[in-house]
Amino acid sequence: MAHSDGHADHHIIPFKTLANVFGALVVLTVLTVAVAQVDLGPLEIPVALGIAIAKSALVVMFFMALKYDKPVNSMVFTVGTVFVVVFLVFTLFDTAFRGDIGNVGVQTIEEEEAELERLREREPDPEQLRVTPSDYGQDGTGTGSEDMNDQ
Amino acid sequence: MATDTAVATPEADESHAHHPPHLQHHFVSSEQQFDSAKLGMWLFLITEILLFSGMFVAYTVYRAWHPEAFTEASATLDWVLGGVNTLVLLGSSFTVALSIHFAQKDDRMKAFWNLIATLALAGVFMVIKYFEWTAKFEHGVFPAGFFDPHGGYYETLASIPYTGQFFSIYFVMTGIHGLHVLIGMGVIGWIAWRTFRGHFSSEYYTPIEITGLYWHLVDIIWIFLFPLLYLV
Repeated sequence: MAHSDGHADHHIIPFKTLANVFGALVVLTVLTVAVAQVDLGPLEIPVALGIAIAKSALVVMFFMALKYDKPVNSMVFTVGTVFVVVFLVFTLFDTAFRGDIGNVGVQTIEEEEAELERLREREPDPEQLRVTPSDYGQDGTGTGSEDMNDQ
Repeated sequence: MATDTAVATPEADESHAHHPPHLQHHFVSSEQQFDSAKLGMWLFLITEILLFSGMFVAYTVYRAWHPEAFTEASATLDWVLGGVNTLVLLGSSFTVALSIHFAQKDDRMKAFWNLIATLALAGVFMVIKYFEWTAKFEHGVFPAGFFDPHGGYYETLASIPYTGQFFSIYFVMTGIHGLHVLIGMGVIGWIAWRTFRGHFSSEYYTPIEITGLYWHLVDIIWIFLFPLLYLV
């Protein structure tokens, strides 16, 4: 068809297709509500997101007609979506793992004093630190060194 | 543009033989004008998606940090109202798609009435949203520093740390989404008026098409907001 004909060669999505897509969207909405009433544990968010992604895929492909459209529009949409994923994932690389590496030291005087107290509690009894006979003074019964072995 | 009977150069004979009034002079053909408008709209829609993605990322980060607070706070939202609003917006997406379908078929009045139906459904969405928000305000559930829940179940929210964070995100996300619905209603009303006046035909229906794209995006945002805020 000659392109001077304006819109004559545009794809007209049939009424039946649009109605079917709308029906599918309603069914998926009911499904996502029904699934939310069941306790799925850790799968809850992935399932809800999966249904939402399926619904938006239907809207984008049929209502927004990307399926029948020029590929350049699909490219714009895809690149944009990829950047949303990059945004989300790279932010989570930071926020989801904060504190795991423990590279942040104590920051307040209270924390520092608590840390010192904790270290003081871990300090072993001087009794148990005796190693050489001179550490035992006069009697030298040797019980101290047995204590050491228990450690 | 003023001269429809523009001088036809021999090589551009075909494209000038039919020079409709809607065709702006810097475009070669209606087809090129239509494609450019659509590409421009898709680029705009991507900026919209990125705008909302900032809020979705904030939601994800704070939910990952305080999952219990989010679960408790989200339980106070009425999934029946949220679900009805989802169906209302899906219905409005359907009617706006139909209005493009009928515009392409030169059925002016059917295109017009479908736009009016879209407008009405958008109105229903905003009315439900209004009742949801005011129900929260009555119990002192406000965003950020104004968060002071009281009365009934909301009393327990006050004892759970970080529930205010959920509502800050809830109000900002549904608020900016609602703003988009209001802007959409304005644009759809204007386009419906122009459709009624017979400004569009199967030859030229770009504004309806572009408005439809915008409206579907508003719908898609809600498709994600509904499960994330009301259900999980």
